[in-house]
Amino acid sequence: MVQFLSGYVMYTFSSIVVYIALATLLHLQFGVTGIVNFGVVGFFGLGMYAFGVFLIQYHIPYIIAMLLATVLTGVVALGLGRVILQLDSQSILVATLAIATVVEDLATSEKWLTKGVIGLGTVPFPFDLGPYSQVAYFLLALVLTILIVIYAYRVESSPYGRLLLSIRDNEPLAQSLGKSTSRQKLFFFAITSALMGLFGTLHASNVHFLVPRMVSPGVTFTVWIALILGGRKKVLGGLIGTLATIGLFDFVIETFVPIPASAQSQLMPVIKLWIYGLALMLVLMYRPSGILGEKKL
Amino acid sequence: MSFITDALILGIIQAAPLVLAAVGFTLIFYLNGFINVAYSETITVGAYFAIVFNSMLRLNFYLAIIPSALLSGVISVVTYLVVFRPAFRRGVESTEMIILSVGLSFFLRYSLRLIFGSDLYSLDIVSPTSVRIFGVGITNIQLTALVLVAVISVALYLFIYRTNYGEMMRGLANNEVLAMVSGINPVRVSVLIWFIAGVAGGLAGLFYGVFSFVSTLLGWKLILIVIMVTIVGGIGQVRGALIASIGAGIITAAVTLLTKPLYGEVILLLTFIGVLRLKKSRR
Repeated sequence: MVQFLSGYVMYTFSSIVVYIALATLLHLQFGVTGIVNFGVVGFFGLGMYAFGVFLIQYHIPYIIAMLLATVLTGVVALGLGRVILQLDSQSILVATLAIATVVEDLATSEKWLTKGVIGLGTVPFPFDLGPYSQVAYFLLALVLTILIVIYAYRVESSPYGRLLLSIRDNEPLAQSLGKSTSRQKLFFFAITSALMGLFGTLHASNVHFLVPRMVSPGVTFTVWIALILGGRKKVLGGLIGTLATIGLFDFVIETFVPIPASAQSQLMPVIKLWIYGLALMLVLMYRPSGILGEKKL
Repeated sequence: MSFITDALILGIIQAAPLVLAAVGFTLIFYLNGFINVAYSETITVGAYFAIVFNSMLRLNFYLAIIPSALLSGVISVVTYLVVFRPAFRRGVESTEMIILSVGLSFFLRYSLRLIFGSDLYSLDIVSPTSVRIFGVGITNIQLTALVLVAVISVALYLFIYRTNYGEMMRGLANNEVLAMVSGINPVRVSVLIWFIAGVAGGLAGLFYGVFSFVSTLLGWKLILIVIMVTIVGGIGQVRGALIASIGAGIITAAVTLLTKPLYGEVILLLTFIGVLRLKKSRR
């Protein structure tokens, strides 16, 4: 039992839970509000590295470092949002992608802070409970993810959620009804991005050593593929999509399908991303609303 | 003084392949109105074709340029006919088209990875001779790239603004129904544009392959800068893409000379975000 509660299975489950949260937050940004955030990993990575630097280099207590990193991510998102959110969606797309690239570049180049490719570590688990440290960490990530999903549910049926939906569908119209759309959009973007940063800080505990490879665009696209596959307009779209992609490949296939060890490390990641790409194309062509489909009017 | 000339010359040389990629990308962006992320693989494919013809089939480097460029054009046309045209006909919106192109980009990149593995390849070039211009060393291959870029840019410019096909393309981009009523065959013009864009992208990849190793990530590392340059230059503005590419080259070269290479990219991207904003507020 203790063996099951620590090590590889818990590591995989924790990653899946973090990705579910990211995909649900992206659902709120893209599916609900219509913000094309192609820089998910920028905010996730900023939270992760800021937390690591506060904790390891400046010896700030765990929980305070976590909060500081989340706030910092939110402030950066607020600044970026002010500059780009009123542009057309193609400009928002490239600008967010660019910010993510900047984060990755700085994580690599600022060795005095991040130790570059050597890696920044060791980030401990939040609670020191001996053999149960990892499972406690998993439960924390799980609870926070469930809170995000519940929030996503509630926002949709609230007046605030309807305002967000109207921003997605027709922003000038919402504006003409006297809603401060640009401000609401900006704050919503900043808060959801800060939460992406919070899950970055959580993920740091799971991986222990932070290297720039972890903040590569692959993270962004994995989240996007999960959300599109699951159904971007559904609250559970991110959850279903993450289970159908990362859950299937990183847990089910890796654990239960006998694959030779050499193919496991070399070939599987390539085949996985190849299938992700193919699946994304097929979904957008033949079922653009994803597995869960769209609400009927 | 020497810093300024160094930055200018190095910048223009580094910008040469970027100009090709940006011009090709601009054509597709102008014609179809979406950001084709899979264009990164058109660039990569050009470099890999050059590896096949030059390093594996032992063809002379300059001879290998021709089939590599043409085949990249063919690949580009195939992506249009097999993926993008059917998607347009199914009514996929422009934001979804971008995500679709990301899917295609993954599919193609990891197809290449399955075929060629994760090895780094390099082109087989007889030791390059170098000439000095204003005290900056330039190899003959860099000069070839520069001349080719100049020739192709001028040819493309004339093609778009002076020929029948160029006029058809502009007509199609502005108003597809009107263009069709006027007797323009949209498929034929589109195929031609995607072919030209593919040739330009393939050549860009090939020349990048000369100065660095060829890997499946070659195009992906460039595509963000290509997209930025195109948007900043103005959609469908070949001239704008040209100027923005050279500007990007010079900024990168100048920052790299002063500090670390990675800062070049950081400052370039932040500058671009600022420019995006400025362009918007001027409108």
